Amino acid sequence: MSGCEHAIEYVYQYLDAELTVYRKNRIKLHLRRCDDCCSAFEFESRLKHVIHERGASQPPPELFDSLRALIEEERAASGDDAVADS
Amino acid sequence: MADQANFERDAMQYSPQLYSAALRMTRNPADAEDIVQETYLKAYRAYHTFEEGTNLKAWLYRILTNTYINKYRKQQRRPTETELGELQDLYLYKRLGEASGATYSAEHEALDRFVDTDITEAIESLPENFRMPVILADVEGFSYKEIAEILDVPIGTVMSRLHRGRKALQRKLWNVAIDRGIVKAAEE
Repeated sequence: MSGCEHAIEYVYQYLDAELTVYRKNRIKLHLRRCDDCCSAFEFESRLKHVIHERGASQPPPELFDSLRALIEEERAASGDDAVADS
Repeated sequence: MADQANFERDAMQYSPQLYSAALRMTRNPADAEDIVQETYLKAYRAYHTFEEGTNLKAWLYRILTNTYINKYRKQQRRPTETELGELQDLYLYKRLGEASGATYSAEHEALDRFVDTDITEAIESLPENFRMPVILADVEGFSYKEIAEILDVPIGTVMSRLHRGRKALQRKLWNVAIDRGIVKAAEE
């Protein structure tokens, strides 16, 4: 397998920081010598960043309060049970 | 074992992320809010079984995905692996390169022209088996091991679904790039 094939095969695991040190170093070494792979890796890294930044959504502002109210109610209900059980 | 009295203090901070993931899964704000509520109720009830010092965020996501699967998967036809077809490595990068005449910066600059809804709709277009690993890895930043625990599948399965899901996402983004005029389609 050529250095390029090896690098591209492991591009995601490399960017996800999921490679062993040995493989990571081997790819790093290749990237230093190969502009094509370097550009591809940079693109994939930016794309990952773009998905992370723009792929999330904000919750409605009342979510927090409705969750708290839900837990409060549950706590009160189970508290009553505990008293009833004793 | 965790104390229920600390539940809000410990768990509530993750609710915006859980909502966001739920929205990507259900594609619908009302359904997303619904499964987040159910998740927090289940999590509170089971909190005494949560082992303190272990990964609370992953534990909550596991409850979230199980809740989602139990509620919605029955309604859906499960997509098969083959539905995504075979896709080339570096799909988007190569298409953008062809379209832009391989000037280095054009491929990179095209990425900046994708707006939030381009990305969210592309993620939501993925078949469910592939959408979950992509959300968990790329949007939420979980490790392969954490994703394997959340989805209760082997790490190898996480990696292959993630690999295929990302390629499918790239194909979708390429279509978006053409539809929105981010790039001009090369002669095909």
